[in-house]
Amino acid sequence: MVRRQPTEPPADLYAAVRGEVSWFCCGTAWGPCSTTGKGACGTCNSGSLQHAWPNTSNACWDITRPDRCGVSLSRRTCGFRHRTTALCSGASVVTSIADCGPQTDLFCGEQSCCGSTCASNRLIDLTPAAYSAIASLSTGLRPAEIDTA
Amino acid sequence: MTSRRQMLKSALLGGGATVVAATAMGSLGPEAAFATDRAQEVDPGAPDPNFAEGRIRSIKDNTLLVLGSNLVFHNIRVVDGTSLWKLGPVGFDQAKPGDGLYARGVRMPDGVLAAESVWLNIVNIKGHIKNITSDKIHLDHNGQEVLCHVVAGKSVAVHSDAPASGDLSMLRVSQHVQILGAWRPDTNEVDIATVFSPH
Repeated sequence: MVRRQPTEPPADLYAAVRGEVSWFCCGTAWGPCSTTGKGACGTCNSGSLQHAWPNTSNACWDITRPDRCGVSLSRRTCGFRHRTTALCSGASVVTSIADCGPQTDLFCGEQSCCGSTCASNRLIDLTPAAYSAIASLSTGLRPAEIDTA
Repeated sequence: MTSRRQMLKSALLGGGATVVAATAMGSLGPEAAFATDRAQEVDPGAPDPNFAEGRIRSIKDNTLLVLGSNLVFHNIRVVDGTSLWKLGPVGFDQAKPGDGLYARGVRMPDGVLAAESVWLNIVNIKGHIKNITSDKIHLDHNGQEVLCHVVAGKSVAVHSDAPASGDLSMLRVSQHVQILGAWRPDTNEVDIATVFSPH
């Protein structure tokens, strides 16, 4: 069954949206990452400037369900570019969609902060190459602002 | 102001590439190190030449010879100010053949990557807790079990925006978590640095 998306305008349609950013591995890799593939778009590689987005298709949306956390996001497909800005450092990186994710609904309500600056809900996952351009990989999770590029 | 990248280049080109005890982030704080105004040099979607991943094949002087998972070799130079991570900030002597790594730095004209940061064996995996004891978490990660070890004095849990805590007793079976840690090479085991829990 194809789940219908909410009818209200997506939060990211007219302005940047705040949410949590993490990182994930894809493509050829070592360790626990060695079993991951090249992502929903078939192009994902840890060493490339790419990201996963929760609304790349109906099937993707049925998995990630950001609406369960009260967040509506625009449908954007493989290759679409977003700019992610780390709220802790102000550093930003522009990446393109290569996979479906993160699974937002499994972390509903989670919040990350830098001092008094906070963001809730997991809205984007970056590859290690992209995340390490704006934050140390050892931070694992950071508040961010996401916009079209 | 001299940027961190300029410092790395000068360290290499000026012959000052001696290995010193690597610090957490050199002379800069962990977030400040990323706050420099860098123009993005790489097209979105493209491989980043200033980034490398793979496993260490050998170590000679201050250079890691790394075979990428895509079978491309990288020479990664550790210089003054390079930060190394292996479950936490470590010195260069903790890098071992067989370790997996991600590295970010500046690609030099001769192809060497002058490293700003090297993360040894770092993994960041999501899954649900199948079982938990005082010193282990059995994590189902994409249908594969990963045995995650609690390391006294190092492992912490972050419950949403609450401060990190060494008390992992709030974690529960079937709960979905993200585990950042250090892989034990050639096993399905990980030492836990941080468990991120949504509540």
